[in-house]
Amino acid sequence: MSISIWMILKANFYSLFCWYKNNKWLLISILIWPYLMSFVILAMGILYGNLESFKERLNIANPVLYILATSAIAMSSVGIIDAVASFTIYHRWIGTLPYLVLAPVKTYKILLFSSIPESIISITLSIVAVIPAVMYFEGLLGIAKIIMVLLIVYMGMAPLLGLSILIASFALGVRGEENIASSLSPFILMISGVFYPIEVLPRVLQYVSTVMPTRYVIEATKILATYAIPEAKLLFTILYLLAILTIGYNSISALTLKSIEKWARRRGGI
Amino acid sequence: MRLAIEARDLVKRYISYERMGFLKRKKLIVEALKGVSFNVDRGEVFGLLGPNGAGKTTTIKIIATLLIPDEGYAKVLGYDVVEEAEKVREVIGVALSVEKGFFWVLTGRENLKYFGMLRGLKGQELEQRIDQVIKLVGLDELNAANKPYEEYSLGMRARLSLARALLPNPPILLLDEPTVGLDPASARTIRNLLVNLAHKESKAVMVTTHNMFEAEMICDRVAIISEGKIVAMGSVSELKRMVSNRIAIELVFSLSQIPLNIIEERVSKYLSISEVSTEFLKEGKAKIRIISNPGEEEIIASRTIDILYSMGIKIHYIHVQEPTLEDVFILLTKKGEKK
Repeated sequence: MSISIWMILKANFYSLFCWYKNNKWLLISILIWPYLMSFVILAMGILYGNLESFKERLNIANPVLYILATSAIAMSSVGIIDAVASFTIYHRWIGTLPYLVLAPVKTYKILLFSSIPESIISITLSIVAVIPAVMYFEGLLGIAKIIMVLLIVYMGMAPLLGLSILIASFALGVRGEENIASSLSPFILMISGVFYPIEVLPRVLQYVSTVMPTRYVIEATKILATYAIPEAKLLFTILYLLAILTIGYNSISALTLKSIEKWARRRGGI
Repeated sequence: MRLAIEARDLVKRYISYERMGFLKRKKLIVEALKGVSFNVDRGEVFGLLGPNGAGKTTTIKIIATLLIPDEGYAKVLGYDVVEEAEKVREVIGVALSVEKGFFWVLTGRENLKYFGMLRGLKGQELEQRIDQVIKLVGLDELNAANKPYEEYSLGMRARLSLARALLPNPPILLLDEPTVGLDPASARTIRNLLVNLAHKESKAVMVTTHNMFEAEMICDRVAIISEGKIVAMGSVSELKRMVSNRIAIELVFSLSQIPLNIIEERVSKYLSISEVSTEFLKEGKAKIRIISNPGEEEIIASRTIDILYSMGIKIHYIHVQEPTLEDVFILLTKKGEKK
C-alpha cells in the first residue's frame, strides 16, 4: 500500500506530539529560550551603549519587540536548519533512517516531507513563546504584529527548507557522521543580520546574504517593528524576493535529492 | 507464486579509504559480494550463514532495496529491487539491528504507531495490528508496550524490532541476526515465532545468523557465505552429509600450567592431525576438539588421553560427536577454525 504525503506529515506530527508529551522539559526550555536570548542581547546592549542609540541606528520604534521577534526568528531558523538539514544524520544516528526509507514511497518524498512538521512546530513554538512579552509591551496590536511575523516566518521557511534539503542531500551522500548543519547554522544567522547589521559585514558576505532567506525575514520583522505605513511597499518586495528564492532553492533541492538518493543507495549511505 | 526471493549473480563493491598520512589517503575497493545467487520460497525459513564481514548484511540490504548492487539482479515476488523499489517495500518487513532503530523517548506502542503510519496503516486497523503484533512477539507479557524505548532490555528491543517488521503483515520477512545478544528465553520465543510464521502463515523468512545452533533449529534451507561467495547451499541434513566423513572427539580437562596452544600443538603433532582446536571453559576447565575419520575415533581418543596424561593433565570426560552444522561452517569458511 503506497502512502500519501499527508500520511507522512501525519506520522511525523504524531511522533513530535509524543516527543514533547514524554519530554516536557524540552518543551519548557524551548519556550524560555527566546527570553534568555533577548535578555543577553539587551543586557549586553545596555552595558556597552543605550537603547536610544540602538533605536536610532536601526531605525526601529520598539527595540524590545524587535529583539524578541528577531530572537524568535533566529531560533526558528536554527530550528528549520536543524530539523531538515540534520534530519538524515539524526536518523542515521538513532538507526531509524533505513526504516524511513523502507516506507513504500519515493525516498526523496519521505526525506522531504518528514522534516516539515518539525520545522512548523519549531517556528510556532518559538513565536508563541514571545506572545506573553509582546502582550505586555504592546497589547493586542503587538499580538497582531507577532502573528504577522509568524506568517512571514512561515513564508521564509519555504526557501529555507530548500536550502536545508540541499545540505541534507549532501549529508545523505557522505557516509561520515559530520553534522554539517550545526556548523552552518551560526554562519547562516550571521549573514542574515541576526547578530550584526548586514551593512557592517564584509562585501563578499553581503553578496552571499542576498540569497539567504532568513535575511528577508529579519528585514520584514524590522519593518513591522517600525510601525511605518510607507514601508509596507518594501514588505511586499521582500515577500516577492522570498517567493523567488522559494522556487529557486526548492527546484534545485528536489533535483539534487533525487540523484543523491540513488548515489547514497549505491554507496551504502542508508 | 511459490518463489518469493530470487537473487542472481549479485556483485557489490565498496570504496573505502586508508589513511596514509595527514592529507594523503589510498583508495581501496572492497568486494563484499562476488556473484551471490539463491532463491527463497514462500513457507520456508532460509538462513544465510557466514562469519563477520562475509556479506550477509550487504545481501539482505540489497534484497530490502536499501543498497543497489553493482552487477546482477534481485527480485522480490517478481519485482526488481532497483527498478521497482517501492513495490518491493510494500511486500517486505525488515529488521536490521535489534539494538537501535526506534525513537528513544517514545514508548514501544508509540513507535509502532509511527512506523505503522509510514506503512500506510491508519485508524482502527492500525490499532488492531499494533495489539496483534505486541501479543505475537510477547511484549504484552513483559508489560513493555507502554514503556519508553530507552528503558527496554535487548530482548524487548529485539521483540519490538520484529513487531515493526510484522506490522503491515508482509508476505516476506528479512531479518538480520534477529536473536543476537538475546537471553535464551527471548531467543527461543523469536525462533518459535519465525518457524510458525513460515510454516503456518506461508511467509518467506530470510534470516542471517552466525549462530549454528539456531540455524539447525529453524532453517529449512541454509546458504553458507564466505568472503562474498556462497560456498554451500541446501537443507541442514544435506550440508551435514558434506562432512559425514568427519567425527569430532571432544575431551574436557582441568587447566594446568601448560598453555592451551602448546597442548593443541603437541596433540596435533603426535596424532598427525591438523584439525585440532582448544577452548577455555568455565570453572578452570578447557576443551580439546579433534576431527577424525569415521572408524578411527576410538584409537584417536585413547592416544589423546595418553598424551594428556603424559603432560600431567586431569581428564574429566570424553565425548564423540556426529558432524554438526558448525563443522560444515568451519570446514567451508576456514575462518571459524580458531573459534
